Amino acid sequence: MGVLDPRPLDVLGLKRLEFNLRIPEADFEHLIRTLSEARSRATELAASISARLGPDHRLAELANAAASRVENMLREIQIFATTGTVTTAGLADLHGALQSESQPVTPAPVIPSEHVPTEMQATASFAMQAGLEPEHWLPMFVHDLISQVRASGGITFEVAERLLQQRKDDFLRDFLIARRMYRTYPKLFPEIQGEIGPPEGHPIQQ
Amino acid sequence: MTIDARELNELTRKATELMSETADVPRILRNQLGDQNQLARAAEQMQDSIENFLQELRCFDLSAQAFPTDTFEGP
Repeated sequence: MGVLDPRPLDVLGLKRLEFNLRIPEADFEHLIRTLSEARSRATELAASISARLGPDHRLAELANAAASRVENMLREIQIFATTGTVTTAGLADLHGALQSESQPVTPAPVIPSEHVPTEMQATASFAMQAGLEPEHWLPMFVHDLISQVRASGGITFEVAERLLQQRKDDFLRDFLIARRMYRTYPKLFPEIQGEIGPPEGHPIQQ
Repeated sequence: MTIDARELNELTRKATELMSETADVPRILRNQLGDQNQLARAAEQMQDSIENFLQELRCFDLSAQAFPTDTFEGP
């Protein structure tokens, strides 16, 4: 632990503070996993209450506020995990205000079987054109967008942002697991030994 | 738009789980970063927000029980 070097920056009018702080990776993984699950649960609760009591009911407002807090917390932890930076000032509140008014992501219903090959082919085709592996986050994000549009007949910026955020969550979770595996069992990765150094202080390659 | 006692109980149960599953987030951040760290304080605010929601839900539950909507279908 240690708050050691707060350095104020002014980026796009938003104050940021950087700290030389360390949180064990296991704790990061636990926090991100816990908050990801909590976000799903809180969003589901808020949607259920809004649907039953109306979005203006006090319970719905409190549920939305709690869901926004959880989402902001998750975002801050992710930013901190990747950059070691804590964002402050109005950014979290701005996100909170946007999120509280945004529509929840409706889970995409089961896609009819005749659409599956088309979507998968479209995703694979996009990945090939972009020179990316099909498992790369970008083709998968495009797939999510197409699925959402087909399922609901439209899409909003808020829904697209949430889908992207979910992809970022998945990416970060996978990255942390992979990094931990590499550090714990380096002999399992002979082909990359020596090619990559300790990830501390290095930006994540996306 | 209405909500019945069973739905409310289910929502209260889920909110209680949300409260308990996030309870250690502020503690971990406080232990690692200190009480005054902004992340730790944001986690406290998140927990307070969930607690407010849960309390309101429990109050709503009590008032719903005072005016039950379920009918008793005798033996």
